[in-house]
Amino acid sequence: MKIICLVKFTPDVDQFQYDYEKNILIRENVKLVINPDDACALGFALGLKKKTPEVVIEAVTMGPLNVTAMMADILRRKVDLATILSDRQYVGSDTYATSRIIGKYLETADYDVILTGSHSRDGDTAQIPGQLAEYLKLNQISQIRKIDQPSMLNKRALVEVDSEKYLETYEIPLPAILSVGRESNYRLPFVRYDDLDLDVSDRLRIIDNDSLAVDSKKIGLKGSPTKVIKSYPIDYQKKEQVIVKNDDQGIDMVMAFLEKEGYL
Amino acid sequence: MTKEIVLEGLKKLLTNEQINVDADDLYDATADRYKKYAKAKKVLDNPSPCAIVYPKNSSEVSDLLMFCNQNQVNVIPRSGKTATEGGLENWKELAVVIDGKNLNEIVNIDTYNMQATIQAGVALQDLEDELRKVGYTTGHSPQSKPVAQYGGLVATRSIGQLSTLYGGIEDMVVGLECVFPNGHISRIKNVPRRAGGPDIRHIAIGNEGTLCYITEVTIKIFKHFPENNKFYGYLIKDIDTGIKVLREVFTNSYRPSVARAYSEEDARQHFYHFHKDKCVLIFMAEGPQAIVEATGAGIEEAVEKFQEGIIEQVDSSLIEDWFNHLNWSQQDIDDEVEEMINNDSHSGYTTEISADWATVSQIYDNVIKRIRSEFRFADDLTMLGGHSSHSYLNGTNMYFVYQYTINCEPEDEFRMYHHPLQTIIVEETLKLGGSMCHHHGIGKYRNQWTRQEHGSAYYMLETLKEAFDPKGIMSYGNIYYQEDAAKYQQ
Ligand SMILES: Cc1cc2nc3c(=O)[nH]c(=O)nc-3n(C[C@H](O)[C@H](O)[C@H](O)COP(=O)(O)OP(=O)(O)OC[C@H]3O[C@@H](n4cnc5c(N)ncnc54)[C@H](O)[C@@H]3O)c2cc1C
Repeated sequence: MKIICLVKFTPDVDQFQYDYEKNILIRENVKLVINPDDACALGFALGLKKKTPEVVIEAVTMGPLNVTAMMADILRRKVDLATILSDRQYVGSDTYATSRIIGKYLETADYDVILTGSHSRDGDTAQIPGQLAEYLKLNQISQIRKIDQPSMLNKRALVEVDSEKYLETYEIPLPAILSVGRESNYRLPFVRYDDLDLDVSDRLRIIDNDSLAVDSKKIGLKGSPTKVIKSYPIDYQKKEQVIVKNDDQGIDMVMAFLEKEGYL
Repeated sequence: MTKEIVLEGLKKLLTNEQINVDADDLYDATADRYKKYAKAKKVLDNPSPCAIVYPKNSSEVSDLLMFCNQNQVNVIPRSGKTATEGGLENWKELAVVIDGKNLNEIVNIDTYNMQATIQAGVALQDLEDELRKVGYTTGHSPQSKPVAQYGGLVATRSIGQLSTLYGGIEDMVVGLECVFPNGHISRIKNVPRRAGGPDIRHIAIGNEGTLCYITEVTIKIFKHFPENNKFYGYLIKDIDTGIKVLREVFTNSYRPSVARAYSEEDARQHFYHFHKDKCVLIFMAEGPQAIVEATGAGIEEAVEKFQEGIIEQVDSSLIEDWFNHLNWSQQDIDDEVEEMINNDSHSGYTTEISADWATVSQIYDNVIKRIRSEFRFADDLTMLGGHSSHSYLNGTNMYFVYQYTINCEPEDEFRMYHHPLQTIIVEETLKLGGSMCHHHGIGKYRNQWTRQEHGSAYYMLETLKEAFDPKGIMSYGNIYYQEDAAKYQQ
């Protein structure tokens, strides 16, 4: 079985520091990390591969070449193949153009199932998996909390989906696009100590638009129909900090706080 | 020899109740707090011992040691299980843990001669509680006091938080009883002092289970005057100022029981209620009223001398409050294990070194600089700092503290974080002539530097091992480097 996992690298927003005086995010030294939902999808795939070593996983990303080191790390986590779709012409692509680029690559790729995350953390977008499904004429489902491992191997995936009101179970014939949510808690394994410096260059491919040949009018800013009307930073409120003593009064304050917030 | 034959042999020496082969307990006995994270996550890959045994007296210890010696079975002596350096970790397929649980008698409290005799399995807290009832104290107060027991405390050359007044365990042990691998039981008598040849207490004190099994200890006890305690705290400009004030106090022959200087980072986690992002200097003066007054005056004089480095004095009740909540109970240790299992994190590690006054600040700076610039996962560090907490006439210790986000599998955590960090600390210390291990013992993960630590005197250490444990059955891998076991360290 061959699984393609789509991954995107986003700024680690949990690590952002906020300058409350100037009301801006401090972006210096913020690392790029795998989008958490994508990490769960990849985590599931690697879990399946651990049990069924014949499973082959390819990770695919579209982005600038500075993601190469992170894709190499994905290979060191026991992914078989990594593909980076990268070209200066892709810069500024909205989700529609991005789907077209990735779709063009996937058209020619070999797979039994495509796994993605449900949401992208940086822009809070969730369109790519649906748009890709449209492009590739595949079924697609989002907000997956659980995928039944054996069903994947039987080519009819049983998935549990969080539809906000209910947990629903669907059976989907493969190939399909399965989009996993963070709540699935599938854990992406770390690079093992012995593999920290493993040379993975022979398993990492970079594909530009000369090879992919997407119509240049349909990519980048000019190929992107989305127009941003307004964007605004989130206004974080500084949390009040109260330091209490380790005495009866301090303990009472903590208890009262926990009760007020509904923890007790 | 197989595990089954070892168990058969043990059954001939002890009752069934004295032999524990419960799988969970054996897993627990596979390693100590050096690999606490991998252990909590149940991924240890070194062998478990065949059994944990609980002898009731020194004669049973003697039989057990003879049996293990004859059959080449590794012996791991065990007391309160608070070891931090791999001392309780097992690296042999055939191993037996000899636990002091049944050696739990307080044999004698002799307030006239100011000494108490206890068996090795007596918890320090239990003896302290008994002594307090009659107005005395052991003076020994390691943070692990509620859990650690005398066998382990003596075997690791432990030190307490009041060491600058009462000394380390080596200053407290008057005499002891210990058993060697050939079954010989030695009793070192309790006298105030003697010039009867080399001080043989030191063959047992700090042996980390590699030479003999300690079964009984006699220690000094002290009159206790808690009502006179006085606390002093200061925010200071840098750790070097703290070290200078400490030096001034000790070289002027004052003996406060607590004397500590903290880096900003370490102060932040200890003194969250007053640190103001500064380094912290604290003292406690203890003893009879007049001594406390004189010690307090000595502290104030030293602080005055280094006034330019002192930012402000701290309300002494805050220091007292901090001091009263310092110890780790078994509950705290268990809570940390839960935390590790549930949240992929732990409360960090420490490495303790010592050096003379002239070099200790330099070692501190070199270590911090090298970790920040060389350690591959420096970005994951959430805390790196240290404090000096045990001072002497000629120098002091430095207790490096480090915490990090664990971005690796539990099996790799000690290789990726703990060991490389400890390596930098040890190397920088040895480079400037300090000691790589101030009070936790060498254990298994610093044994690669034991030769360097001792230099030409390693000959003496090596000869002790050859003489007392020629078959090498005692605590394989502690103190002495073992080529065959390097796979567990790398
Ligand atoms: C929270 C915490 C705080 C700590 N604070 C301090 C501190 O302030 N000061 C300090 O010095 N240490 C401290 N330590 C380290 C540790 O508590 C000490 O090393 C202590 O002396 C170990 O005693 P134990 O009874 O727990 O021994 P164990 O952990 O059971 O054993 C320690 C070592 O001694 C050997 N050993 C045990 N019993 C015997 C025996 N009867 N005969 C021969 N060898 C034996 C073992 O094989 C092992 O190598 C701390 C540890 C923890 C977890």
